[in-house]
Amino acid sequence: MSLAIDRQRSRLLTASALIGPATIFVAVSLFAPLAILFRFSLNGFDKATKTMVEALTAANYIHFFTDPYYTAALATTVKIALLSTVACLVLGFPLAYVVARTQSRFKHLLIIAIVLPLFVGNAVRAAGWMVVFGNKGFVNAGLTGLGLIDKPLEIMFTEKAVIIGIIAVNLPFMVLSLQSVIEGIDRAVEEAAFSLGAPPLTMFRRVLWPLALPGILSGTILTFILAMNAYATPYLLGGPLFKMMAPLVYNQFTQQTNWPFGGAIAFILMAVTLGLTVVANLLIQRRSARRTTA
Amino acid sequence: MNAVALIRRRAGRWALNGAATLSLAYILLPLVFVVWLAFFRQEIPSFPPEGYSLRWFAAILDQRKFVDGFSLSFQVGVLATVIGLALGVPAALCLARYDISWRAPLSSLLLMPLIVPGVVLGTSMYVFHVELENALDVDVIGTFYALVAGHVVIVIPWIVRLVTASLAGVDRTTEEAAQNLGANRWITFWRITLPAIRPGMVAGALFGFVTSFGNLEMSLFLVGPGRTTLPIVILQYLEWKIDPTIAAVSVVQIVLIAIAMLITDRYVKLARVV
Repeated sequence: MSLAIDRQRSRLLTASALIGPATIFVAVSLFAPLAILFRFSLNGFDKATKTMVEALTAANYIHFFTDPYYTAALATTVKIALLSTVACLVLGFPLAYVVARTQSRFKHLLIIAIVLPLFVGNAVRAAGWMVVFGNKGFVNAGLTGLGLIDKPLEIMFTEKAVIIGIIAVNLPFMVLSLQSVIEGIDRAVEEAAFSLGAPPLTMFRRVLWPLALPGILSGTILTFILAMNAYATPYLLGGPLFKMMAPLVYNQFTQQTNWPFGGAIAFILMAVTLGLTVVANLLIQRRSARRTTA
Repeated sequence: MNAVALIRRRAGRWALNGAATLSLAYILLPLVFVVWLAFFRQEIPSFPPEGYSLRWFAAILDQRKFVDGFSLSFQVGVLATVIGLALGVPAALCLARYDISWRAPLSSLLLMPLIVPGVVLGTSMYVFHVELENALDVDVIGTFYALVAGHVVIVIPWIVRLVTASLAGVDRTTEEAAQNLGANRWITFWRITLPAIRPGMVAGALFGFVTSFGNLEMSLFLVGPGRTTLPIVILQYLEWKIDPTIAAVSVVQIVLIAIAMLITDRYVKLARVV
């Protein structure tokens, strides 16, 4: 009896020794900094000396929501994130489906082609779009060459460029999320719908979409979070004055050295992202529940 | 199946493949143009190119900041990966092999750095370093080791994820058999478990390294003056201008990462782990 307890205790000890260091390291590295940042966001800031002033106030949060400059930045960020997420879903689904269903020997190369841009980094991909969109870039040179325009289109440093760039950055995440779920859906289910006479679109709507819903959810949540927090893409393609939340946080920290306000913006960004994600999750789940009972 | 339905299905196939090709092209388009620009003869990125040249690749070496940035990113990536392996592999072993309560929350915690936005990670770690420096009275902000510690946090999830995945495919009875045959726990680990998780470790290490090497948003807050990683050097250069030199730097990075991906793919099915 006591031997069994001893063995159990020694197993628990081994398990803790194995997982303890990583857990403590990650927990301390994530939560201690977040707690300090939150505390800082309640501090004041002396503009004249550019130093933080110890305080316990919601002034930074109130300042954010009462200044139209910042609320406009929040609105732009949410709008761009929503637009790009919907676009990623529409563009990503066909590709995810083809990758999931292909029998090709080169499937792994296809997946590398999708994963590679993820790891290359946002700055390099922004550089690619700069070549495409610049005043003498590919699009403008092409359209001028064809005689379609007299003077170059302004694409760089516009919202359009930022949205196009963010979609390209997030599309691989959506494709991978969808692909892994579609791969788990038995092909026979699709065939059954077809042999019962369903046209492709009906099959998609009534069979594939509901079954792929977990992947659709995780993919949209991931791409939405990433779009809300995008930094390099809006900074390089939208220009230094383009107002989105992540560049604002960076600007408060490095240019203004206003840590309290920068911290407040970071927390507002996190709260809004989390809030919208939860709401969307509930809405979609309720809708799909209603559909299955109907 | 009647003819109309057959035609409809075939048309659907074509539409589907067409849409998929367009999406893939969209993903790859920026990389294609960066690679193209790296071989332009003229310095200004105007189309059509006046000719082609390889001289920009040699020009990289003339600019110290690229060489320094590459070297710092490489050192940070290697060190963060080694520490990440030391912390992450035991954790993955524990998650896969021990029936502990709290397994789900522990595993979510270890994977969490993947979904915490870089700008939040960076700002919060920066103020953490400020407080540490004040409390301990040693240099923390902008030091090499602070940067490495930050990178370890984003490397660990990949290692935990890939090693756990590789352990899921190993039959536990093999380990029990070894122990029944008289092998002690260490021998079992060295001769049975370690060889089984080696592919997962290689893949996790490569993914972790690549994640660290390419990290931009978090590192922006952690680097010190005059000491920046390659992605930050690239960002700062692009603020100023886009030319074939920066494209050539990007090509070097793309090629390195592609090689890492191809090696990883030999060890684990990429489709299963990303």
